[in-house]
Amino acid sequence: MTTSRYTPQELAASLVAAALLLPGVQARADEPPQDGSISLRYLDYADSQPGLDRIRAHSPSVSVTAPVAGDWSIEGTLTADDVSGASPRYHSAISGASHMQDERKAGDFAVTRYFRRGTLTAGAAYSTEHDYVSRALSLNGTLSSEDNNTTWAFGLAGSRDSINPVNHVVVAERKRTVGVLAGVTRVLTPNDIGQLTLTRTNGSGYYNDPYKLFDNRPRSRRENTVLLRWNHYADSTGGTTRLGYRYYSDSFRIRAHTLSGEYVQPLGGGWSVVPELRLYTQSAAYFYYDPVYDATLGAPFPPGYSNGADPNRLSSPDQRLSGFGAVTVGLKVAREIGKLWTVDVKVERYEQRGSWRLFHDGSPGLAPLRARIFQIGLTRRW
Amino acid sequence: MKVLVLIAPALLALAGCANVQPWEKGNLAKPEMTFGGNRLETRYADHVYTSREAAAGGAGVGGGGCGCN
Repeated sequence: MTTSRYTPQELAASLVAAALLLPGVQARADEPPQDGSISLRYLDYADSQPGLDRIRAHSPSVSVTAPVAGDWSIEGTLTADDVSGASPRYHSAISGASHMQDERKAGDFAVTRYFRRGTLTAGAAYSTEHDYVSRALSLNGTLSSEDNNTTWAFGLAGSRDSINPVNHVVVAERKRTVGVLAGVTRVLTPNDIGQLTLTRTNGSGYYNDPYKLFDNRPRSRRENTVLLRWNHYADSTGGTTRLGYRYYSDSFRIRAHTLSGEYVQPLGGGWSVVPELRLYTQSAAYFYYDPVYDATLGAPFPPGYSNGADPNRLSSPDQRLSGFGAVTVGLKVAREIGKLWTVDVKVERYEQRGSWRLFHDGSPGLAPLRARIFQIGLTRRW
Repeated sequence: MKVLVLIAPALLALAGCANVQPWEKGNLAKPEMTFGGNRLETRYADHVYTSREAAAGGAGVGGGGCGCN
């Protein structure tokens, strides 16, 4: 018969130490990635309004993440968007001359340094279209509590955009933004984790849509967001519920609520399915005008235009600034192939209507917008 | 003020939770329990919604702008 050489206290301490060495037991927030990965993804997007196919977009992307020298990681992304179709000149009206074709190329790069209780990430982003160039820099960080149950996040970012529309309604216009972020992520229970993030963005410059008639917006915009997210793991099914709520407000007096949810259900053989639902509602910008036109001149002139109203007054017939609600339903199917490969396919259906708004005043008279979104992705780890 | 009304209960809820021990975090370490998700998938979603809706952002700062909105 043998007897243990350890006291109960020593045994408990040894078990804790061993448990900490198990993969996944430590909080992940402050750890560098253990593996590198390369991801390829392709997006096929098409939207339409009743009787009219509008915008079609094809967008391949590649993303690379790699650990470097133990305490560092780098990640970069390249994307190309090929966009074509018909875009409204005002409200939902399309003219035969409004066919557009554009190609956008975008890239970003970030480097992260990992510390014992936090991270610091510096990033840069660049994108170019034939009439729009954007440059952005950012600095983001996290700081975790000693028990790794709470992580604070902070961020600072700035962008400088150059705008040169092909119709030359303006030349060499600019838009600049400065954004700040503060957030906290908290382990709530062994199966629940919550996150609260606040952002504020101040922008100045050219906010008009140069291709829309009577689009004259303020030259500054202040945007605030409050984002609450909650992930819950269900022991009974092995699935994970991911819920999010975002409140958005800005100086255009737009208020928006977004509620999103998805459920990740692993199946046997490396398969998993992820159904998703997203509900969105927004109020109209204070300078948006409904499709009710000047009594004398008719469309697209805003009401009062022929009666001496200031032609430079703020106004916009942009459907995206109207009051509406939107629903997205989607389904993703993913499969892990061995430990190194993951492939997934995702299909979504999106629709927005003025009558679907949940709060504030709606904007009647606009045609519904429908979109279908298809994605396929492939990830290889090493 | 409305924002404070919204976030104050959330802050209290987040701050008032019991401590979870390291050996209880196995489920929390699953990839689907992180908030980041698939990076490219998130980018696509952000880009699509930014192009079609007025509200944008919320989860981070640092992305560049585009002529899509």
